[in-house]
Amino acid sequence: MMHLGWRWEALKNGFRDATAYRVEFLFEILGSALVPASIQLVFWYALFKVGGSQTIAGLTHADLLTYTWVSMLFTQVRGGDHDFELQELIRTGQLSQYLLRPVGVVEFTYIRGLAPRLFIAALSLSAGSLIAFFLKLSIYKIFAAMTLALLGNVIHYQIGASLATSAFLWEEAYSVLMIKNMAVNFLSGELIPLNLFPESMTWMWKYTPFYLYVYGPTQYALGRWSDAEFFHALILALLWIVLGFFMIRLSWSWGIKKYLSLGG
Amino acid sequence: MSPIIEVENISRSFRSTKKTQGSWGTWKLLWKPEFQVREALKDVSFTLEEGTFNGLIGANGAGKTTLLKILTGLIPPSSGKARVLGLEPFQRSFKFRHSISLVMGQKAQLWWDLPAIDAFDLLRAIYEIPSRIYQERLQTLANLLDVSKHLNTQIRRLSLGERMKMELIGAILHWPKVIFLDEPTIGLDVLAASKLRDFLKVFNAQEKATIILTSHNMDDIEKLCSRVLIMQSGKLIYDGRPAKLTHEGERRLKVRFFEAPSLQELQETTGIAQDLIECEHNQDDRSFHFSLKQERIVSVLQSLLNKYHVIDMGIEEQSLEKVIQRIYENELSGTQESHFKT
Repeated sequence: MMHLGWRWEALKNGFRDATAYRVEFLFEILGSALVPASIQLVFWYALFKVGGSQTIAGLTHADLLTYTWVSMLFTQVRGGDHDFELQELIRTGQLSQYLLRPVGVVEFTYIRGLAPRLFIAALSLSAGSLIAFFLKLSIYKIFAAMTLALLGNVIHYQIGASLATSAFLWEEAYSVLMIKNMAVNFLSGELIPLNLFPESMTWMWKYTPFYLYVYGPTQYALGRWSDAEFFHALILALLWIVLGFFMIRLSWSWGIKKYLSLGG
Repeated sequence: MSPIIEVENISRSFRSTKKTQGSWGTWKLLWKPEFQVREALKDVSFTLEEGTFNGLIGANGAGKTTLLKILTGLIPPSSGKARVLGLEPFQRSFKFRHSISLVMGQKAQLWWDLPAIDAFDLLRAIYEIPSRIYQERLQTLANLLDVSKHLNTQIRRLSLGERMKMELIGAILHWPKVIFLDEPTIGLDVLAASKLRDFLKVFNAQEKATIILTSHNMDDIEKLCSRVLIMQSGKLIYDGRPAKLTHEGERRLKVRFFEAPSLQELQETTGIAQDLIECEHNQDDRSFHFSLKQERIVSVLQSLLNKYHVIDMGIEEQSLEKVIQRIYENELSGTQESHFKT
């Protein structure tokens, strides 16, 4: 049976750590939720009010505004920067301290960073209940969509944790992780709904798991995905998690052999 | 008694890119990097017994930390074998990680923004320490190190000494069988360093934990270690008691002459072997140091006074600090201390 003891303590400490500076924490949540939303709002305004369009890819201004508000619930859940933390541990040699503890460093780092995300998910669900009331959406669908977003959080970290191992080879993996994050910003549906992609370019997001982070949950919460589509996405997310598990096992067992434990 | 740490012909080399000076060097590194190989450890062998307190010393870059990293399983040796508690360190088995601890004076292990008590609670859960035992240990350690009143203070708000003590508590809460301490008293004031030393001494005596300490502070080594290992350019050049290193009862007689005699002449006059006579290498090359037993001082002085014009003289006790300083100086000047090799 999975031993929850240290995981529970790590989760608690992760939350205490993230909220040690409350104002900073608040700004982090609000800032990173409002910036992509503001970009979308400016974009819709330019297209519909200034440009005079009536619909884009079959979506009206109201449809896109709804997408923006609801996607904000999931944008914050998709993941923090614990993969950056991993690459920094490798680069500076701080990883050594974690390697000597009888816990897995990848799992430990994830759980530590998960606590604030869970807190944000809870806040988003409260906000989601209000949005559901005003927009006449199903509250159950919002809860189910949040489950998918949380699975997206796991996948996001798994990909980042695997990419971070390039720091074992090149000592620095910052740019690799930045490129991954830029791709996620674009292909997760954080900036624009993915159904705005031309048909010939949909492969760009369909073959990555990124759309499961924001676009998928938003579509289901808005009732634009059927239950069958949602369950299909849920199964895909679980398959990605299994794949991610093996990716981490492989990349870390390779990387650790190259680890130099630099820095004194 | 079988040894708790066995090191057999361990060598370790590191490959790194070589950057030449200036913009050309930067371009070259980008397009055609050159590599250099540095041998950090060369054929090191030794064994350590359970419950002993051992000092590992050497100048910067001598290979001490590399050796610690191999023994803690952070990196594998390039060749040779190491076993700690009968286990191969680099496999980092669960049992191995449960039984060792590494404290690095320059690296914080506790959570910077949280009080120490939160980090200790997490360690209790990680090492599955029963609550009652954990409370007892924490109380004992906090009292011994005099930090009980700081347990609820954010780590970043503690002084360096208090932080180091917390690091030490965090490192030994699980009662490890082998503790590796890398510069634990670095940056500490005299009182804090002394408290830390007293604590380590008590812990070693009571719990029979094997301790390997690296330090540039010879006070740490002299006061704590029953055995000392000296590394020089990746080689182990001394393995024995610290007292043997300082040649107990031996003194250093410093004599300054009006005109400098040769080493040959001094040997003939005093009967002291040339390798025990040292010429001062700084501006004053008329001063010599004679290493000799206390009872011989008067007779040697008499023979020198009879033959030479002596300007000044003085007697120094052999301290470990001075002995080590001379070893380091010899390393810098490329001289090998061959008489130390075991």
